[in-house]
Amino acid sequence: MKTNPLIGLSWHLVFIVLIFILLFPIIFAVGTSFRPLEDAYNNVLQFIPLHPTFENYEAFFTSLDVARIMMNTFFIAAGITIFKVVTSFLAAYAFVYLDFKGKNLLYFLFISTMFIPFAVTMIPNYLVLSDIGLTDSVWGVMLPQFADAVGIFLIRQSMKTIPPSLIEVAKVDSIGHWLIMKDIVLPLVKPAVTSTGIWFFILAWNEYVWPVLILKNVENFTLPLALQMYISSEGGTNFTVAMAVSVITMIIPLTLYLFFQRYIIGTFTSSGIK
Amino acid sequence: MIQFENVCKSYGDIEVVKNLNLTIHEGERLVLLGPSGCGKSTTLRMIAGLEDITSGSLYMGNKKVNDVPSGIRNVSMVFQNYALYPHMNVVNNITYGLKVKKIPKAEIKKRLDFALEMLQLKGYEKRLPKDLSGGQRQRVALARAIVKQSDYFLLDEPLSNLDARLRVSARKELLRIHEQFKQTFVYVTHDQIEAMTVGNRVALMYKGEIQMVDTPENVYQRPVNIFTAKFIGSPPMNILDATFHQDRLMIGMQSIILNEEWIQHIFDSKVKNFAFGIRPGHLEIVTVPQKNSLKAKVKYVENHGNNYAVYTDIEGSEMIVMSDKKDWYPGEMVYVNPDSTKIHLFDKETTETIGQPVVKENKFLNRVLV
Repeated sequence: MKTNPLIGLSWHLVFIVLIFILLFPIIFAVGTSFRPLEDAYNNVLQFIPLHPTFENYEAFFTSLDVARIMMNTFFIAAGITIFKVVTSFLAAYAFVYLDFKGKNLLYFLFISTMFIPFAVTMIPNYLVLSDIGLTDSVWGVMLPQFADAVGIFLIRQSMKTIPPSLIEVAKVDSIGHWLIMKDIVLPLVKPAVTSTGIWFFILAWNEYVWPVLILKNVENFTLPLALQMYISSEGGTNFTVAMAVSVITMIIPLTLYLFFQRYIIGTFTSSGIK
Repeated sequence: MIQFENVCKSYGDIEVVKNLNLTIHEGERLVLLGPSGCGKSTTLRMIAGLEDITSGSLYMGNKKVNDVPSGIRNVSMVFQNYALYPHMNVVNNITYGLKVKKIPKAEIKKRLDFALEMLQLKGYEKRLPKDLSGGQRQRVALARAIVKQSDYFLLDEPLSNLDARLRVSARKELLRIHEQFKQTFVYVTHDQIEAMTVGNRVALMYKGEIQMVDTPENVYQRPVNIFTAKFIGSPPMNILDATFHQDRLMIGMQSIILNEEWIQHIFDSKVKNFAFGIRPGHLEIVTVPQKNSLKAKVKYVENHGNNYAVYTDIEGSEMIVMSDKKDWYPGEMVYVNPDSTKIHLFDKETTETIGQPVVKENKFLNRVLV
């Protein structure tokens, strides 16, 4: 069947415009981060740096212990990711392969936590953490995020595609649950586990509200909190530096996404979430 | 030896296996045969320990195993979809279970080589299941079951995913494995030819109940009830309603006069309404009435290659007759002669056979009155 070439062309135009709209803030941030402040103020929309400068990056690196902040961010993001992936995998395994009373009800309860807004749990979590003395600690940021229903859901969906007979043949061969998990299930759900992990990492890396509540000292700050210092009323309006911090914050999640996008898209489409 | 004692299995309110009593002897090949959903796979899975037993007892080697976990029942299982680990190559698929059991490397190697040799898998050691043909996958699944050297070999429709030609050779392979190791084979299939060729005994199941357990010959020649009679044999046995009147068996308005032994046998059975059964191959179709003929009308003819199945109508009931000739035309009136030594009579109410009379002399059926 032949389609009108004009239709194809107009769709392409629509997509080009959409992509431009989506990419514009990134292009703007990258461009502006290489411009001197006055220059950027005088001509905001002319965001291609005519006189590229590293002064914004220098300003950021000299005013704060950036290595420490990056380490904090990485530590929190990696910690949350590892815990969430491990707990999600174990819980998903239990929900798929173990039989116990109330399994479906429990799964339903787990999944329903996805629909509780963060604002509802924020204050109780804060009170608990301050009681056990974990405020202003990276562990305080991580602790309430050691498990996630989304992870259980995504990994469980993937496990359910494994034919049950594979597990049964292992059971008949007296292979225990730990080995079944490690040698059979894990290799087969690896794409889902990887993409869920990347997804968790990016979310944790970009997290802002919760760390703002917990972390007080600059030395415990994460990158998004450092960024806030340059755009809030107290940090002044040095937005070219803010753009430089944005670019640094963006690099790691973006790189991860580019490397693993095949897995990520695969997992979300196969689980029916898009 | 495997023994089921009043075993029931239900999922909620649905009873899939009802009061099963069955003994599987050591070293025999028992086939569980039946239409889909009859409970045969569930029965096999109970032996494997993959299904709980709702009530009753299951013994394996004189030990009650109701609560014995699957892994220590010493069974090997072959699944219909082969259940090969997709991320492991042929060798790892075959030896994974042995490695986990910490069997010495030299022993694993010995068993592996033997299995690869026996099932012609040499040269495919490093392939992944996705790079193998259906037949090869099936042989890998068999090899994995062989190397375990267990006492019980459980096969759940192992040949159903193969094409007809491969199925015949795979069947031979299975018999060869049994010759070699003499394990107790429990084989689930819905294919009666497979059941007949593989089984020392066949257990026919229907709606969760065992209908008959016997040798393939007896299951075919002496079916105990109408279900068995109709399930085994293709085309199925003809079953027509019949009543006994004075000394003759009435099929609608037609009748067959029976000999003394049958008459005595029928009297002894005290049954009023019968189902008369005869296999299509035990009938002869002719154009001129003979002594034993039933009058019939041809409905249509089915080509079976080596012969023809002629579907006829006798008194409103269907009667299939095998014929070497194909020149039978719809609407044509013909005569059908039953082989007098091959008839079956069932009680129509209970569907049970009334058995065969004690043979005194070899003339069962005399003549037919039209």
